[in-house]
Amino acid sequence: MPLQAIRQVAKPQNGVGAFILQCKSLHFTYCDWAGSSKGMNSFLTHYLPRFAQQNPQIEITVSPKPRKHPVIKGNYINGREKAVCVANMDPKEIVKKAVLLRDASGEKLKKVTKPVKSLNESVRGIWDPFHGHQWKI
Amino acid sequence: MKRVRVERWGGSLLPPRNPRLQCPFSAGERACNVPIRSRTLRPITAPSQQQRQFTSTRRIRQDVEIAAVADELEAPPATRYPSPRADRQSAKLAALHARLSLPARFPLQTLSRCLIDASANPESSQNNSSLALLGQDLLGYHTAEWLICNYPRLPMPVLFAAEYAYIGPATLSNMRAEWGVEAAAAPGEEVDPGYLQFTRQQAGNAMAEDGMHRIKEFEHIRAKGTGRANEQYNWRRGVSSRIVYDDQFGDLQSGLADPVVGPGGSMLTSTPKDGSSAAQLEPAELAPLDDASASGELKSTTLEQASASFIRAVFGALYLHCGAAALRDFHASHILSRHLPLHTLFNFKYPTRDLSRLCKREGFEPPVARLESETGRHSRTPVFVVGVYSGKDKLGEDAGSSLDEGRVRAAAAALRGWYLYSPPKDRVVLPSQASEGRWRPQMVDPGEIIT
Repeated sequence: MPLQAIRQVAKPQNGVGAFILQCKSLHFTYCDWAGSSKGMNSFLTHYLPRFAQQNPQIEITVSPKPRKHPVIKGNYINGREKAVCVANMDPKEIVKKAVLLRDASGEKLKKVTKPVKSLNESVRGIWDPFHGHQWKI
Repeated sequence: MKRVRVERWGGSLLPPRNPRLQCPFSAGERACNVPIRSRTLRPITAPSQQQRQFTSTRRIRQDVEIAAVADELEAPPATRYPSPRADRQSAKLAALHARLSLPARFPLQTLSRCLIDASANPESSQNNSSLALLGQDLLGYHTAEWLICNYPRLPMPVLFAAEYAYIGPATLSNMRAEWGVEAAAAPGEEVDPGYLQFTRQQAGNAMAEDGMHRIKEFEHIRAKGTGRANEQYNWRRGVSSRIVYDDQFGDLQSGLADPVVGPGGSMLTSTPKDGSSAAQLEPAELAPLDDASASGELKSTTLEQASASFIRAVFGALYLHCGAAALRDFHASHILSRHLPLHTLFNFKYPTRDLSRLCKREGFEPPVARLESETGRHSRTPVFVVGVYSGKDKLGEDAGSSLDEGRVRAAAAALRGWYLYSPPKDRVVLPSQASEGRWRPQMVDPGEIIT
């Protein structure tokens, strides 16, 4: 056999072809009695139907959680979970938090210092002494 | 964890969990009036002599009820397996449909069928096996035509590896996770249809029932039913035979019917009984799943295989519901958009010899390696840049830490350059685009060098 092949797995590039929203599901909890859920209850009745309609790719679940602050929990494709407590917030603030969770990638927050991240290897290759500036002694 | 209420989905079909209840959720008659087999009580708990003195009518009624429940448990209910019924609503399923941007013509019921593996429901009209078979062929066709038209000189082993990288089971299994599909712990009618359902294979390291052996020690290591003649012999598999007999990745197939050698052939594993021909016996051999379903056992599978069959089934179903153009777009956006540097798939053994054979075949002048530049010849990190020339044409260049390494690497670079030739993008017209009225003959190279 003149040559053999090395088996690999092609890497995903989300957004190059299809884009898949990384937020899988959002879970809203509320309390009927406590005052911290006042904004959440208003959000659930007036804003959530529209939000769910605009984002059909997110599975939305609502459940009561008595005597607790209202929380939005997002589950992401990478398996992580992100939770935001929305106690004492206005419905419009809660919409902002829901949008934040929808747009998150699920990764831990980290500082991006390099401007470009690429799967391709560098065009310039590894350093070699024959190209670029020649040092003369 | 909160228990899921089964009544919501199949309340009219299932008997009540508590037999004393008078079926608040169902029509009543069918589920509640379980036929009690006269007075033949099963000794579930053998009562002692003292207890029998206090046996009352109430006690007898309880025993009858317990016996009825035991009968119910013994007889399997009509719907044991998960099925893609139209009335089963699921937020997960609808979200998955929207997440993949599937067309509205792709029904949710079919998507839920794609999520039922053959190991979860052996009924072929309810599981994804037929869709997966179609999808596998479609995936193979579209990927192979794209690879061959865009890289017409790709050697066959590399073509196999590239197909494996794009549509192999490992990649499809990753895609299942990237699509946000989770697998159910065990299949069942009560499982949300948005989960991938399959029967999990036991780990090979698990102890077998005899307590002395591992499960993997009982399994035959070599695949059976490869479709090759004389598969009991460990014959060499060349590339040409891989193209003819094996699957899209050049791997042995399994589970195929044995090739029939002849009426008196010694290769027949099962001899025909009393005049029935081998052809009549074949359907029974070809349908191991039906046998398994008859005995009430399900074949088990791994998460990777089940995930791959789900992805294939989605492609097959998309073709059936939405047509070839939708499938091609979906394939381009989900498969061909993946990142695969093809030049890393090559593994040369004798690149200098291959290059000289190639030059001979193509009528070029024999290749000559020349030192382009060097540094630190007598240091511990020397670098030699070697170029390979055919006459005045430079075929390839690379650097190595010795003269020989530089020469070999330069020859490999020249071969990679030859094999990875790609025609201009505007000249590539795939054969599947002929239905759009575009057709252009495509160049395909005679193949790699055989040494």
